[in-house]
Amino acid sequence: MKRRDFFKKGTKAAVAAGVVPIIASSCATAKDIVDDRKKDKWYHLGSGKKGIPERKKTETYDVAVIGGGAAGICAAVASARNGSLTVLVQDRPVLGGNASSEMRVHLNGVNNINGKAERETGIIEELLLHNRFENEQESFPVFDHVMYDFVVREPNLTLMVNTQAVEAVMEGNKIKSAKCWQATTETLFTINASIFIDCSGDGLLGASAGAAYRTGREGKAEFNETYAPDEPDGWQMGATLLMSSKDMGRPMTYNPPSYAIKYTHEGAHPRRHFKWFKDGIWWIEVGSKGDIIADAEKNRHKLMGYLHGVWDYIKNSGNFPEAENLALDWVGSLPSRRESRRFIGDYIVSEKDMTGYKHFEDAVAFGGWSLDEHNPGGIENISEPPSYFHYHFKKIYEFPFRSLYSKNVSNLMFAGRNVSQTHIALSSSRIMATCALMGQAVGTAATICNKRNILPREVANNHIKELQEQLLRDDAFIPKRPAMDPKDLARKASLIFGSTTLLGDAKNLLNGMSRDIDGAINHWQSDGLNAELQLEWETPVQLSTVELKCDTNVKRNIMMRKDSKNDDLYGNHVPKELLKSLSLEARVNGKWKDLGAIENNRTRLIKFKFNQLKTTAVRVNLKETYGAENVKLFEIRCYA
Amino acid sequence: MPNLYKLKFISFFFFPFWILFSNEPAMVSSERIEIDHKVIVKHPGEEVPVETILTEIQNKDSTTIGYAMEVESVICLDEVCKEIPVRLFWNDIGVYQKYVLAKDATLEKYEADLFEPEDYKKLHTVLANENSPFKDVAIHQVLTAVEDDSVDAVAGATALELDEKDTVPGAALTCYTLWHWANGDIIKTIKKKTGESSTNQQLLEFLVNDNKSYYPIALEALVSRNHYASEFIETVIERAANHDDLIKASIKYLEAAPLEVYTASLKKIFIASEKLQRIAVIRSLQYSKKELPKDYLDSFSNEIGYLKSFQEVSVFLGLMEVKNPNSIQINKALIALMEGDFLIARRVYWFLGEQSNLDDGQQKKLKTFSEAHSDKL
Repeated sequence: MKRRDFFKKGTKAAVAAGVVPIIASSCATAKDIVDDRKKDKWYHLGSGKKGIPERKKTETYDVAVIGGGAAGICAAVASARNGSLTVLVQDRPVLGGNASSEMRVHLNGVNNINGKAERETGIIEELLLHNRFENEQESFPVFDHVMYDFVVREPNLTLMVNTQAVEAVMEGNKIKSAKCWQATTETLFTINASIFIDCSGDGLLGASAGAAYRTGREGKAEFNETYAPDEPDGWQMGATLLMSSKDMGRPMTYNPPSYAIKYTHEGAHPRRHFKWFKDGIWWIEVGSKGDIIADAEKNRHKLMGYLHGVWDYIKNSGNFPEAENLALDWVGSLPSRRESRRFIGDYIVSEKDMTGYKHFEDAVAFGGWSLDEHNPGGIENISEPPSYFHYHFKKIYEFPFRSLYSKNVSNLMFAGRNVSQTHIALSSSRIMATCALMGQAVGTAATICNKRNILPREVANNHIKELQEQLLRDDAFIPKRPAMDPKDLARKASLIFGSTTLLGDAKNLLNGMSRDIDGAINHWQSDGLNAELQLEWETPVQLSTVELKCDTNVKRNIMMRKDSKNDDLYGNHVPKELLKSLSLEARVNGKWKDLGAIENNRTRLIKFKFNQLKTTAVRVNLKETYGAENVKLFEIRCYA
Repeated sequence: MPNLYKLKFISFFFFPFWILFSNEPAMVSSERIEIDHKVIVKHPGEEVPVETILTEIQNKDSTTIGYAMEVESVICLDEVCKEIPVRLFWNDIGVYQKYVLAKDATLEKYEADLFEPEDYKKLHTVLANENSPFKDVAIHQVLTAVEDDSVDAVAGATALELDEKDTVPGAALTCYTLWHWANGDIIKTIKKKTGESSTNQQLLEFLVNDNKSYYPIALEALVSRNHYASEFIETVIERAANHDDLIKASIKYLEAAPLEVYTASLKKIFIASEKLQRIAVIRSLQYSKKELPKDYLDSFSNEIGYLKSFQEVSVFLGLMEVKNPNSIQINKALIALMEGDFLIARRVYWFLGEQSNLDDGQQKKLKTFSEAHSDKL
């Protein structure tokens, strides 16, 4: 869509996304519109003056990230931490996307492969741990603020909420600026940036830039996909509207509102069960075979009707005596979307890449949620199961960088459900923590682009190892890709040893693999606490940074759940394995010098920074975990 | 997902007759003694620890030969569960041996199918596998497996996928419940009881048993009896010196001994053992609350040659820094190490540099080293 056309035609289409400029004129140009405040008759009683309010601003950043869900948060934080001046533009008042209090979907990832998680590390884990420390009560609205804190505390990062990127301004095949409407301040921002990252899900900015995309389902033949339909069609998985209820301790009546749609469960597929109905029913879902974005408001209204219809069935059909004392205490008004645009990159990930566990030289993320393709008819097709669960993965699959940037808009990357993949691949990779890994990858890639003055495709072609190394250093995990950073001086140590060892050689900490996987032990575990880890160099080294990766038990999930499940697979608290207290020393001229201590550590990746010194040895004193008897480490790195 | 303990139960009557399922012949003896112990056992399928009776079985010589306990196998259908009593047997160190069912009792699968004869044999194999996948499985996963495999972003769990060799198909809950009874919390209790029931002579035999599981059982009992007769001490020294996996339990036993026994024993292990044991010995001495005689620490000057690796030397010097600085004998002995491996030599150099009583020859040696390796210090 051309820029001018957007303002002529785009308003209606954009209503679905919530906040749009209230501007409409059949003959004015866009420029005229945004300047059109001359008729504004503002009389300010305080100053006694008349004037025109300032409602147009231009800001310039290195990187602009559009969309503040899990993918966007991780992209923005990665970009900012790696040195790019970054803005995160979020169209809602809260961060978190589907996991926000507005929608309340669990922030799932690789939750369960053969009975254990293979949890995501890096920025998304840091965020989930932050929530475990700050939100013991497991409140979704508090989670909003935890995410807000996680973003605004980053010094290189500016957050704009209630702001929607509505149009790209192009310069050749590059996005020069994003026009962003901030509803609360009636302000149109022009955001200039070298790199744009669209993590908005629906991808309005990318679409307005002319980035190639598709919607619907590929036919079997195109990518040789077993679970694709025989012929391509337009179906897109629906959005879900959630709710939650609470036990009031006495019988509660329920009368459905005027817009409720009667639900009987007649002829429903047995998988449409009510097992967890207290915390919402994920198959209250409506999709579309046409323009799912255009249908969004119509579908929202329907979903609200279905939600109350189903609740009416639960409360008043007589089939749920256990619901007698239950009352709705939260109802969603914003459906949680699964699918709309999928941009086209230099590579399109498809089903066989996942089920065949294809190895990508440019892998930057991984996934492992099942091929969980929802019935596109949703609740309007209840004789079908709500999802087909085509395939459960036996191990994690890789996701390539070439699927995370546009093939035809040269400075546009994306992360989340709108990346370059087929509908069937999306049915697995759409899960939020998987999207978050993509986010960290593109945020990091953006900084490489800026430092080297290159575009994302060149990162893929010539700097993929640099990107992977930075991701690994920042505690992302890439399957079958050990870290081998030549700047890491720990790898040059003459000796490494632990004071005691229960399991795993201390040399494992230098092998570049930051988790136990594929049957291999990649850790060193002390036999009791206190414990020490020591590295010796024959020739002195100059050091200013020591980084550790400790254990958080990536085989157990830590995301917040409505049921606060706490068992072998899901924990509802800070992992007991996490290292809590430690200190660092370096040997200078034969004497141990204290380089600092960390109490109440909160992260898997632990960094000590100090004034550069010449040393022949470092010793990490490991004092306490959050409950585990022994401490387990996966990596130690040392840098000049 | 309901937990097991929240489900409704239909209890069967206890059957006094038992049918054996085991690869081993039934134990038939009219001269065995059975002693009942009231015990409390945790089980992942139970909300609270269960109080039950563990029967210790002894032969006519009052030697513990095994244990038995009656547990419940649980079969659930539509949230209604049946409990089938099952009697489990262990040997004297808590290794599962066999199970028996009441005469008229049968085990069932989901969908009310009865166990086939081969299923009973398979169940025994599952229970005998100490490293069964059930070890790390949560009960919700087992219960989910019988329903459907709905998974989504809101709630749910993937169906438990087990290799057929690890379970009785259709009876994962039975396998899970019984496996945790057979291989769970009760094992610790059994070991403790066996130690308590054994004579000193039996404990001495435990110490040299090829099956090392007996070793910590014996030591724990000996500590509680405060028993440090010389034949026990010599046995522990010999075992610890030759088996690094026994050093931790051995040192724990010796740390509770009188000072002379503790120090002499650790010295002997130091001399007779390898790197891991030596490091464990030195660390024990370093962190011991006992007042170690200076003569004793000085006497290690004769044993410096046993220190082979950097880590051993480093830990040893750490001990001396804390508990025996400025020892003339130790300093003298260490000089020899400055001629070998560079990392060790440098560590010794720095140690000696902190000593306040070096003679002229020693100081000259340090100076020479410093000049020769100035780029590596």
